Amino acid sequence: MKTLLLFACLTALPMLAAPQQFELNLDSVAAKASEHVDVSLNAATLQFAAKFLDANDPDDAKVKKLIEGIEGIYVRHYKFKSAGTWTQADLEPIRAQLHGPDWSKIVSTTSSEDGANTEVWLHIAGNKNIGVAILAAEPNSVTVVNIAGNIDLESLAKLGGHFGVPKVKPADKPKKEE
Amino acid sequence: MDWLENELRRALAREDPPDGFAERVMARSARRPSGTRRWLAAAAMVVVAVGAAGAWRQHQGYEAKREMMLALQLASAPIDRIQSEIRGITQ
Repeated sequence: MKTLLLFACLTALPMLAAPQQFELNLDSVAAKASEHVDVSLNAATLQFAAKFLDANDPDDAKVKKLIEGIEGIYVRHYKFKSAGTWTQADLEPIRAQLHGPDWSKIVSTTSSEDGANTEVWLHIAGNKNIGVAILAAEPNSVTVVNIAGNIDLESLAKLGGHFGVPKVKPADKPKKEE
Repeated sequence: MDWLENELRRALAREDPPDGFAERVMARSARRPSGTRRWLAAAAMVVVAVGAAGAWRQHQGYEAKREMMLALQLASAPIDRIQSEIRGITQ
């Protein structure tokens, strides 16, 4: 009985420690992807990682400030060899969760060129923003992000152009495939 | 050449070891290291273990940092894209 109780506690601990705000159930997308990135960082790991940021490096200083209010970052990124590999139905399990009462879509854009769709949702609790969901569905890639905690989206966007991230300009948008 | 042969024969002649030689060798090989040596060995092991733990922790830290940077890169790209598209529309 004690062993069972200990096992139950050990099983429950990671769930308590991981404030992921929706299930990143993307098995059908993952099955079709040629490459994928799966990152799950809770508050403890973020704090640990922050200790290795260089205070004298301006980029690292920005990151340190950005992650101050974050309790977790959960990212699933999938790349496909060709366009049209994934379907909108594959993303339904994610969208269904975000249509819950605690989530509010703040912006959504669809490219007329390649149909790339990007949505940003806020997780609201008592008039307070406690998390962000980002759903970026492009012909050759799908990215789903959940950031738990309070994050400054403006500062997050400004990371584009740093750390090897190419700064996106309207003219840089991917061209429609023939 | 006889004298040379005799010298060589004498020098290379088989000789039995003195009495108790085998016992003395066995006793010396079985002798345990002194207390100081044991402490030195233990201290060296502790230093190596602490160094290895520190190196492992540092490796884990840089790995966590790399993953955090990757996560932020992937999260920032769509937000940056949205901002740029909105900027493109409004301009």
